[in-house]
Amino acid sequence: MSPVMTRRHRRLTGLALLAVAAALQGGATDAAGDQLYPSGPPNGVAYIRFVNLAPREVTIVSPSAKIAIPADDQHRVGQFDAVTPGVALTGSAKLGEASKPIDLKLVPNEFVTVVATAEGANGLTLTVFRDVPTEFNALKSSLALFNVDKGCAQAQLVAGGSHMSVIAGVAPGAVGRRMVNPVKAELGVACSDPAQATPAKLGQLAAGERYSVFVAAAGASGHEVVAQRDEQALFRP
Amino acid sequence: MNALLAGLAVLIIGDSHMVTPNHLITTLHDDLVAQGATVDTYGMCGAVAADWIYPATVSCGKAERHGKEGPEIDRTANTPTYQIETLLAKHKPNLVIVEMGDTMAAYGQRDFPQAWIYQQVHALTGRITAQNIPCVWVGPPWGTEGTSYHKTFTRVKQMSEFLATVVAPCQFIDSTQYSKAGEWPTIDGQHLTAAGYKTWGADITSSLDQIAPQLEQRP
Repeated sequence: MSPVMTRRHRRLTGLALLAVAAALQGGATDAAGDQLYPSGPPNGVAYIRFVNLAPREVTIVSPSAKIAIPADDQHRVGQFDAVTPGVALTGSAKLGEASKPIDLKLVPNEFVTVVATAEGANGLTLTVFRDVPTEFNALKSSLALFNVDKGCAQAQLVAGGSHMSVIAGVAPGAVGRRMVNPVKAELGVACSDPAQATPAKLGQLAAGERYSVFVAAAGASGHEVVAQRDEQALFRP
Repeated sequence: MNALLAGLAVLIIGDSHMVTPNHLITTLHDDLVAQGATVDTYGMCGAVAADWIYPATVSCGKAERHGKEGPEIDRTANTPTYQIETLLAKHKPNLVIVEMGDTMAAYGQRDFPQAWIYQQVHALTGRITAQNIPCVWVGPPWGTEGTSYHKTFTRVKQMSEFLATVVAPCQFIDSTQYSKAGEWPTIDGQHLTAAGYKTWGADITSSLDQIAPQLEQRP
Protein backbone atom coordinates (compact mmCIF):
# COMPACT_ATOMS: atom_id res chain seq x y z
CA MET A 1 0.00 0.00 0.00
CA SER A 2 1.38 3.40 -0.95
CA PRO A 3 2.01 6.09 1.69
CA VAL A 4 -0.82 8.12 0.18
CA MET A 5 -3.21 5.20 0.49
CA THR A 6 -2.16 4.65 4.07
CA ARG A 7 -2.69 8.26 4.98
CA ARG A 8 -6.03 8.45 3.16
CA HIS A 9 -7.24 5.31 4.89
CA ARG A 10 -6.29 6.81 8.23
CA ARG A 11 -8.21 9.99 7.43
CA LEU A 12 -11.28 8.08 6.36
CA THR A 13 -11.20 5.87 9.42
CA GLY A 14 -10.70 8.78 11.78
CA LEU A 15 -13.48 10.90 10.41
CA ALA A 16 -15.79 7.94 10.10
CA LEU A 17 -15.28 7.37 13.81
CA LEU A 18 -16.05 11.01 14.46
CA ALA A 19 -19.25 10.70 12.47
CA VAL A 20 -20.27 7.49 14.21
CA ALA A 21 -19.61 9.02 17.61
CA ALA A 22 -21.79 11.96 16.67
CA ALA A 23 -24.58 9.65 15.60
CA LEU A 24 -24.40 7.71 18.85
CA GLN A 25 -24.48 10.89 20.91
CA GLY A 26 -27.59 11.91 19.05
CA GLY A 27 -29.47 8.78 20.06
CA ALA A 28 -30.09 7.86 16.39
CA THR A 29 -33.85 8.28 16.70
CA ASP A 30 -35.72 7.18 13.59
CA ALA A 31 -38.29 9.84 12.84
CA ALA A 32 -40.06 7.47 10.45
CA GLY A 33 -40.74 4.99 13.26
CA ASP A 34 -42.44 1.95 11.77
CA GLN A 35 -41.27 2.49 8.23
CA LEU A 36 -40.95 -0.81 6.40
CA TYR A 37 -37.77 0.01 4.54
CA PRO A 38 -35.41 2.95 4.90
CA SER A 39 -35.80 6.03 2.76
CA GLY A 40 -32.99 8.50 3.18
CA PRO A 41 -30.75 8.94 6.21
CA PRO A 42 -32.92 8.72 9.36
CA ASN A 43 -31.30 11.69 11.09
CA GLY A 44 -30.61 13.90 8.12
CA VAL A 45 -27.09 14.63 7.00
CA ALA A 46 -24.62 17.48 7.31
CA TYR A 47 -20.99 17.56 6.27
CA ILE A 48 -17.77 18.77 7.87
CA ARG A 49 -14.22 19.06 6.61
CA PHE A 50 -10.96 20.45 7.92
CA VAL A 51 -8.50 22.51 5.93
CA ASN A 52 -4.92 23.24 6.90
CA LEU A 53 -3.62 26.56 5.60
CA ALA A 54 -0.81 26.64 8.17
CA PRO A 55 2.78 25.90 7.11
CA ARG A 56 2.99 22.77 9.27
CA GLU A 57 0.87 19.71 9.97
CA VAL A 58 -2.31 20.31 11.98
CA THR A 59 -3.85 17.63 14.15
CA ILE A 60 -7.58 17.31 14.77
CA VAL A 61 -8.61 15.39 17.87
CA SER A 62 -12.17 14.25 18.58
CA PRO A 63 -13.40 12.09 21.49
CA SER A 64 -13.01 9.05 19.26
CA ALA A 65 -10.27 9.76 16.77
CA LYS A 66 -7.19 11.76 15.88
CA ILE A 67 -6.24 12.77 12.37
CA ALA A 68 -3.32 14.66 10.93
CA ILE A 69 -3.77 17.11 8.07
CA PRO A 70 -0.55 17.67 6.14
CA ALA A 71 0.50 21.12 4.97
CA ASP A 72 1.16 20.29 1.31
CA ASP A 73 -1.25 21.51 -1.33
CA GLN A 74 -2.24 18.00 -2.37
CA HIS A 75 -3.50 17.08 1.08
CA ARG A 76 -4.26 20.26 3.00
CA VAL A 77 -7.96 20.29 2.06
CA GLY A 78 -9.80 17.41 3.68
CA GLN A 79 -12.85 15.69 2.28
CA PHE A 80 -16.36 16.39 3.52
CA ASP A 81 -17.46 13.71 5.96
CA ALA A 82 -21.08 13.12 6.87
CA VAL A 83 -22.17 13.88 10.44
CA THR A 84 -25.49 13.94 12.23
CA PRO A 85 -27.11 17.40 12.33
CA GLY A 86 -27.88 18.85 15.75
CA VAL A 87 -25.23 16.81 17.56
CA ALA A 88 -22.31 18.56 19.25
CA LEU A 89 -19.04 17.84 17.48
CA THR A 90 -16.33 18.49 20.01
CA GLY A 91 -12.57 18.23 20.01
CA SER A 92 -9.57 20.37 19.35
CA ALA A 93 -7.13 21.43 16.69
CA LYS A 94 -3.41 21.47 17.42
CA LEU A 95 -0.55 23.15 15.63
CA GLY A 96 2.69 22.45 17.49
CA GLU A 97 2.03 23.52 21.06
CA ALA A 98 -0.93 25.72 20.12
CA SER A 99 -4.43 24.35 20.56
CA LYS A 100 -7.96 25.57 19.84
CA PRO A 101 -11.22 23.92 20.88
CA ILE A 102 -13.81 22.67 18.41
CA ASP A 103 -17.46 22.73 19.44
CA LEU A 104 -19.89 22.78 16.55
CA LYS A 105 -23.47 21.81 15.81
CA LEU A 106 -24.50 21.55 12.20
CA VAL A 107 -27.94 21.99 10.68
CA PRO A 108 -29.31 19.56 8.08
CA ASN A 109 -27.72 19.86 4.64
CA GLU A 110 -25.06 22.20 6.00
CA PHE A 111 -21.48 22.04 4.74
CA VAL A 112 -19.06 23.30 7.39
CA THR A 113 -15.43 24.00 6.58
CA VAL A 114 -13.01 24.55 9.47
CA VAL A 115 -9.84 26.27 8.31
CA ALA A 116 -6.70 26.31 10.47
CA THR A 117 -4.18 29.13 9.96
CA ALA A 118 -0.98 29.92 11.82
CA GLU A 119 -1.97 33.31 13.14
CA GLY A 120 -3.50 34.92 16.20
CA ALA A 121 -2.38 35.25 19.80
CA ASN A 122 -1.11 31.70 20.28
CA GLY A 123 -0.24 31.01 16.66
CA LEU A 124 -3.37 29.09 15.67
CA THR A 125 -6.70 30.40 14.43
CA LEU A 126 -9.71 28.38 13.38
CA THR A 127 -12.15 30.00 10.97
CA VAL A 128 -15.49 28.26 10.58
CA PHE A 129 -17.37 28.64 7.30
CA ARG A 130 -21.01 27.63 7.23
CA ASP A 131 -22.63 26.98 3.89
CA VAL A 132 -26.06 25.53 3.18
CA PRO A 133 -26.12 25.10 -0.58
CA THR A 134 -29.57 25.30 -2.08
CA GLU A 135 -28.71 24.79 -5.70
CA PHE A 136 -27.57 21.48 -7.15
CA ASN A 137 -27.32 21.14 -10.91
CA ALA A 138 -25.57 18.35 -12.77
CA LEU A 139 -25.10 20.58 -15.81
CA LYS A 140 -23.21 23.30 -13.92
CA SER A 141 -20.10 23.59 -11.79
CA SER A 142 -20.33 25.10 -8.33
CA LEU A 143 -17.52 27.50 -7.38
CA ALA A 144 -17.01 28.72 -3.80
CA LEU A 145 -14.63 31.41 -2.57
CA PHE A 146 -13.58 31.16 1.10
CA ASN A 147 -11.96 34.31 2.48
CA VAL A 148 -9.53 33.42 5.29
CA ASP A 149 -7.53 36.62 4.87
CA LYS A 150 -8.39 39.31 7.43
CA GLY A 151 -6.49 41.81 5.31
CA CYS A 152 -8.66 41.16 2.27
CA ALA A 153 -11.79 43.17 2.94
CA GLN A 154 -13.61 42.34 -0.30
CA ALA A 155 -12.26 39.19 -1.92
CA GLN A 156 -13.36 38.43 -5.43
CA LEU A 157 -12.90 35.56 -7.83
CA VAL A 158 -12.15 36.76 -11.34
CA ALA A 159 -11.87 34.93 -14.64
CA GLY A 160 -10.04 35.36 -17.92
CA GLY A 161 -7.78 38.02 -19.31
CA SER A 162 -10.42 40.67 -18.74
CA HIS A 163 -10.63 39.70 -15.05
CA MET A 164 -14.39 39.33 -15.21
CA SER A 165 -15.90 39.09 -11.76
CA VAL A 166 -17.31 35.63 -10.97
CA ILE A 167 -17.82 36.00 -7.21
CA ALA A 168 -17.45 39.42 -5.59
CA GLY A 169 -17.57 41.10 -2.20
CA VAL A 170 -16.62 38.18 0.03
CA ALA A 171 -15.71 39.52 3.47
CA PRO A 172 -13.12 37.84 5.75
CA GLY A 173 -14.69 34.78 7.38
CA ALA A 174 -17.37 34.54 4.69
CA VAL A 175 -17.94 32.26 1.72
CA GLY A 176 -19.40 33.19 -1.65
CA ARG A 177 -20.79 30.62 -4.06
CA ARG A 178 -21.90 30.66 -7.67
CA MET A 179 -22.95 28.11 -10.27
CA VAL A 180 -21.06 28.47 -13.55
CA ASN A 181 -20.83 26.69 -16.84
CA PRO A 182 -18.27 23.87 -16.84
CA VAL A 183 -15.53 25.60 -18.80
CA LYS A 184 -11.77 25.84 -18.65
CA ALA A 185 -11.07 29.31 -17.33
CA GLU A 186 -8.10 31.14 -15.90
CA LEU A 187 -9.33 31.99 -12.44
CA GLY A 188 -7.74 34.26 -9.89
CA VAL A 189 -8.45 35.83 -6.52
CA ALA A 190 -8.14 39.58 -6.06
CA CYS A 191 -8.45 41.69 -2.97
CA SER A 192 -8.29 45.09 -4.67
CA ASP A 193 -7.13 45.45 -8.26
CA PRO A 194 -8.53 42.53 -10.30
CA ALA A 195 -5.56 42.82 -12.63
CA GLN A 196 -3.33 41.79 -9.72
CA ALA A 197 -5.25 38.60 -8.99
CA THR A 198 -3.42 35.59 -7.59
CA PRO A 199 -4.04 32.54 -9.83
CA ALA A 200 -6.45 29.85 -8.65
CA LYS A 201 -5.60 26.81 -10.74
CA LEU A 202 -8.59 24.54 -11.22
CA GLY A 203 -8.18 23.73 -14.91
CA GLN A 204 -11.17 22.36 -16.78
CA LEU A 205 -14.26 22.50 -14.59
CA ALA A 206 -16.46 19.41 -14.72
CA ALA A 207 -20.24 19.47 -14.89
CA GLY A 208 -21.88 18.57 -11.61
CA GLU A 209 -18.72 19.03 -9.55
CA ARG A 210 -18.10 21.48 -6.72
CA TYR A 211 -14.90 23.47 -6.21
CA SER A 212 -13.38 25.48 -3.37
CA VAL A 213 -10.98 28.39 -3.62
CA PHE A 214 -9.36 29.63 -0.40
CA VAL A 215 -7.54 32.93 -0.03
CA ALA A 216 -5.33 33.42 3.02
CA ALA A 217 -2.73 35.94 4.13
CA ALA A 218 0.86 35.28 3.08
CA GLY A 219 3.77 37.39 4.24
CA ALA A 220 3.53 41.12 4.83
CA SER A 221 0.95 41.98 2.21
CA GLY A 222 0.65 38.95 -0.03
CA HIS A 223 -2.08 36.40 -0.53
CA GLU A 224 -1.96 32.66 -0.78
CA VAL A 225 -4.58 30.87 -2.85
CA VAL A 226 -5.45 27.17 -2.59
CA ALA A 227 -7.97 25.76 -5.05
CA GLN A 228 -9.28 22.26 -5.57
CA ARG A 229 -12.31 20.13 -6.34
CA ASP A 230 -14.40 19.16 -3.32
CA GLU A 231 -14.30 15.56 -2.20
CA GLN A 232 -17.15 14.04 -0.26
CA ALA A 233 -16.98 10.73 1.60
CA LEU A 234 -19.68 8.19 0.92
CA PHE A 235 -22.32 7.98 3.63
CA ARG A 236 -24.87 5.22 4.09
CA PRO A 237 -27.55 5.59 6.75
CA MET B 1 -42.24 -2.09 -32.44
CA ASN B 2 -40.16 1.07 -32.25
CA ALA B 3 -37.36 1.14 -34.78
CA LEU B 4 -35.12 3.14 -32.44
CA LEU B 5 -35.56 0.79 -29.50
CA ALA B 6 -35.43 -2.40 -31.59
CA GLY B 7 -32.03 -4.01 -31.41
CA LEU B 8 -30.88 -1.97 -28.42
CA ALA B 9 -29.28 -3.76 -25.50
CA VAL B 10 -31.11 -2.24 -22.54
CA LEU B 11 -29.98 -2.57 -18.93
CA ILE B 12 -32.60 -1.67 -16.34
CA ILE B 13 -31.73 -1.19 -12.67
CA GLY B 14 -34.11 -0.20 -9.92
CA ASP B 15 -35.34 -0.48 -6.38
CA SER B 16 -38.19 -2.51 -4.86
CA HIS B 17 -40.41 -1.58 -7.80
CA MET B 18 -38.28 -4.16 -9.69
CA VAL B 19 -38.12 -6.95 -7.14
CA THR B 20 -41.58 -8.56 -7.17
CA PRO B 21 -42.81 -10.63 -10.17
CA ASN B 22 -45.74 -8.40 -11.15
CA HIS B 23 -43.78 -5.16 -10.74
CA LEU B 24 -41.73 -3.35 -13.40
CA ILE B 25 -39.39 -6.34 -13.72
CA THR B 26 -42.30 -7.89 -15.61
CA THR B 27 -44.26 -5.02 -17.12
CA LEU B 28 -41.54 -2.60 -18.25
CA HIS B 29 -39.21 -5.44 -19.14
CA ASP B 30 -41.87 -7.16 -21.29
CA ASP B 31 -42.85 -3.90 -22.97
CA LEU B 32 -39.26 -3.22 -24.03
CA VAL B 33 -38.77 -6.78 -25.23
CA ALA B 34 -41.93 -6.30 -27.30
CA GLN B 35 -40.28 -3.21 -28.80
CA GLY B 36 -37.49 -5.43 -30.06
CA ALA B 37 -34.89 -4.61 -27.41
CA THR B 38 -32.65 -7.08 -25.63
CA VAL B 39 -33.38 -6.44 -21.98
CA ASP B 40 -31.61 -7.29 -18.72
CA THR B 41 -33.27 -6.08 -15.53
CA TYR B 42 -31.91 -5.93 -11.98
CA GLY B 43 -33.69 -4.76 -8.86
CA MET B 44 -32.56 -4.34 -5.26
CA CYS B 45 -35.12 -3.75 -2.54
CA GLY B 46 -34.39 -0.66 -0.45
CA ALA B 47 -31.24 0.19 -2.40
CA VAL B 48 -30.04 3.73 -2.89
CA ALA B 49 -27.87 4.90 -5.78
CA ALA B 50 -24.66 4.38 -3.80
CA ASP B 51 -25.48 0.70 -3.32
CA TRP B 52 -24.97 0.16 -7.05
CA ILE B 53 -21.50 1.69 -6.84
CA TYR B 54 -19.95 0.46 -3.60
CA PRO B 55 -20.25 -3.16 -2.39
CA ALA B 56 -22.84 -3.53 0.35
CA THR B 57 -25.77 -5.73 1.24
CA VAL B 58 -29.51 -5.21 0.90
CA SER B 59 -31.83 -6.54 3.56
CA CYS B 60 -35.05 -7.26 1.71
CA GLY B 61 -34.04 -9.03 -1.46
CA LYS B 62 -33.01 -8.56 -5.04
CA ALA B 63 -34.10 -9.85 -8.43
CA GLU B 64 -32.89 -10.15 -11.96
CA ARG B 65 -34.38 -11.06 -15.30
CA HIS B 66 -32.85 -11.68 -18.68
CA GLY B 67 -34.60 -11.53 -22.04
CA LYS B 68 -37.67 -13.69 -22.23
CA GLU B 69 -36.80 -15.74 -19.15
CA GLY B 70 -38.78 -15.32 -15.97
CA PRO B 71 -37.58 -13.22 -13.05
CA GLU B 72 -35.25 -14.76 -10.49
CA ILE B 73 -36.17 -13.46 -7.04
CA ASP B 74 -33.71 -13.72 -4.17
CA ARG B 75 -35.24 -12.88 -0.78
CA THR B 76 -32.10 -13.79 1.15
CA ALA B 77 -31.43 -11.34 3.97
CA ASN B 78 -28.26 -9.28 3.67
CA THR B 79 -27.58 -10.39 0.12
CA PRO B 80 -24.64 -8.71 -1.69
CA THR B 81 -25.50 -5.82 -3.95
CA TYR B 82 -25.23 -5.79 -7.72
CA GLN B 83 -22.55 -3.41 -8.91
CA ILE B 84 -23.16 -1.15 -11.89
CA GLU B 85 -19.71 -1.47 -13.40
CA THR B 86 -19.96 -5.27 -13.31
CA LEU B 87 -23.35 -5.12 -15.02
CA LEU B 88 -22.12 -2.68 -17.66
CA ALA B 89 -19.16 -4.91 -18.44
CA LYS B 90 -21.33 -8.03 -18.56
CA HIS B 91 -24.18 -6.75 -20.73
CA LYS B 92 -22.52 -3.95 -22.71
CA PRO B 93 -25.81 -2.02 -22.96
CA ASN B 94 -26.63 0.69 -25.49
CA LEU B 95 -29.06 2.21 -23.00
CA VAL B 96 -29.30 2.15 -19.21
CA ILE B 97 -32.58 2.85 -17.45
CA VAL B 98 -32.36 3.71 -13.74
CA GLU B 99 -35.60 3.59 -11.75
CA MET B 100 -34.97 5.07 -8.31
CA GLY B 101 -36.25 7.76 -5.98
CA ASP B 102 -38.41 6.38 -3.20
CA THR B 103 -35.45 4.97 -1.27
CA MET B 104 -33.67 8.33 -1.14
CA ALA B 105 -36.53 10.79 -0.65
CA ALA B 106 -36.46 10.58 3.18
CA TYR B 107 -40.18 10.08 3.57
CA GLY B 108 -41.33 10.80 7.11
CA GLN B 109 -38.45 13.13 7.77
CA ARG B 110 -38.68 16.89 7.97
CA ASP B 111 -35.51 17.67 6.08
CA PHE B 112 -34.94 16.72 2.49
CA PRO B 113 -31.30 15.50 2.26
CA GLN B 114 -30.50 17.02 -1.09
CA ALA B 115 -26.73 17.02 -0.74
CA TRP B 116 -26.75 13.34 0.19
CA ILE B 117 -29.02 12.49 -2.74
CA TYR B 118 -27.01 14.60 -5.14
CA GLN B 119 -23.71 12.98 -4.24
CA GLN B 120 -24.79 9.45 -4.99
CA VAL B 121 -27.00 10.22 -7.98
CA HIS B 122 -24.13 12.13 -9.57
CA ALA B 123 -21.75 9.29 -8.76
CA LEU B 124 -24.02 6.68 -10.35
CA THR B 125 -24.77 8.67 -13.51
CA GLY B 126 -21.05 9.36 -13.74
CA ARG B 127 -20.22 5.65 -13.75
CA ILE B 128 -22.66 5.08 -16.61
CA THR B 129 -21.85 8.09 -18.75
CA ALA B 130 -18.09 7.64 -18.28
CA GLN B 131 -18.53 4.72 -20.65
CA ASN B 132 -20.45 6.87 -23.13
CA ILE B 133 -23.65 4.94 -22.55
CA PRO B 134 -26.86 7.00 -22.78
CA CYS B 135 -29.11 6.71 -19.80
CA VAL B 136 -32.61 7.55 -18.63
CA TRP B 137 -33.60 8.04 -14.99
CA VAL B 138 -37.18 7.23 -14.03
CA GLY B 139 -38.49 9.05 -10.96
CA PRO B 140 -41.04 7.72 -8.45
CA PRO B 141 -44.80 7.63 -8.95
CA TRP B 142 -47.13 9.51 -6.59
CA GLY B 143 -48.03 6.54 -4.40
CA THR B 144 -50.59 7.17 -1.68
CA GLU B 145 -50.43 9.07 1.60
CA GLY B 146 -51.10 8.01 5.15
CA THR B 147 -49.24 4.71 5.28
CA SER B 148 -46.24 3.34 7.12
CA TYR B 149 -44.01 4.46 4.27
CA HIS B 150 -44.83 8.07 5.22
CA LYS B 151 -44.89 8.97 1.54
CA THR B 152 -46.43 12.36 0.84
CA PHE B 153 -47.34 13.99 -2.45
CA THR B 154 -45.38 17.08 -1.44
CA ARG B 155 -42.16 15.11 -0.95
CA VAL B 156 -42.68 13.07 -4.13
CA LYS B 157 -43.04 16.33 -6.05
CA GLN B 158 -39.93 17.73 -4.34
CA MET B 159 -37.95 14.60 -5.13
CA SER B 160 -39.06 14.55 -8.75
CA GLU B 161 -38.17 18.20 -9.26
CA PHE B 162 -34.80 17.65 -7.61
CA LEU B 163 -33.99 14.58 -9.70
CA ALA B 164 -34.88 16.53 -12.84
CA THR B 165 -31.99 18.92 -12.12
CA VAL B 166 -29.38 16.43 -10.96
CA VAL B 167 -29.53 13.33 -13.17
CA ALA B 168 -27.93 14.95 -16.24
CA PRO B 169 -26.45 13.87 -18.55
CA CYS B 170 -29.10 11.17 -18.16
CA GLN B 171 -32.55 12.10 -19.42
CA PHE B 172 -35.24 12.28 -16.75
CA ILE B 173 -38.69 10.74 -16.88
CA ASP B 174 -41.03 12.26 -14.32
CA SER B 175 -43.44 9.48 -13.37
CA THR B 176 -45.79 11.91 -11.62
CA GLN B 177 -46.80 13.21 -15.05
CA TYR B 178 -48.63 9.96 -15.77
CA SER B 179 -51.37 10.32 -13.19
CA LYS B 180 -52.96 12.65 -10.70
CA ALA B 181 -51.67 12.45 -7.14
CA GLY B 182 -53.18 9.37 -5.52
CA GLU B 183 -54.88 8.25 -8.71
CA TRP B 184 -52.95 5.00 -8.94
CA PRO B 185 -53.89 2.77 -6.01
CA THR B 186 -51.14 1.12 -3.99
CA ILE B 187 -50.95 -1.94 -1.79
CA ASP B 188 -48.96 -0.20 0.94
CA GLY B 189 -48.55 3.46 0.03
CA GLN B 190 -45.52 2.90 -2.14
CA HIS B 191 -45.96 -0.21 -4.27
CA LEU B 192 -48.65 -0.15 -6.94
CA THR B 193 -51.20 -2.80 -7.72
CA ALA B 194 -50.50 -5.17 -10.60
CA ALA B 195 -52.68 -2.99 -12.82
CA GLY B 196 -50.71 0.07 -11.72
CA TYR B 197 -47.38 -1.52 -12.65
CA LYS B 198 -48.82 -2.43 -16.02
CA THR B 199 -49.84 1.17 -16.63
CA TRP B 200 -46.59 2.59 -15.26
CA GLY B 201 -44.50 0.23 -17.42
CA ALA B 202 -46.49 1.14 -20.53
CA ASP B 203 -46.18 4.85 -19.79
CA ILE B 204 -42.40 4.61 -19.30
CA THR B 205 -42.10 2.71 -22.59
CA SER B 206 -44.15 5.38 -24.32
CA SER B 207 -41.84 8.08 -22.92
CA LEU B 208 -38.80 6.08 -24.06
CA ASP B 209 -40.27 5.95 -27.55
CA GLN B 210 -40.38 9.74 -27.53
CA ILE B 211 -36.94 10.18 -25.95
CA ALA B 212 -35.19 7.59 -28.15
CA PRO B 213 -34.23 10.01 -30.94
CA GLN B 214 -32.51 12.25 -28.38
CA LEU B 215 -30.38 9.51 -26.88
CA GLU B 216 -26.81 9.75 -27.97
CA GLN B 217 -25.71 6.51 -29.49
CA ARG B 218 -22.68 4.70 -28.27
CA PRO B 219 -19.58 5.52 -30.39
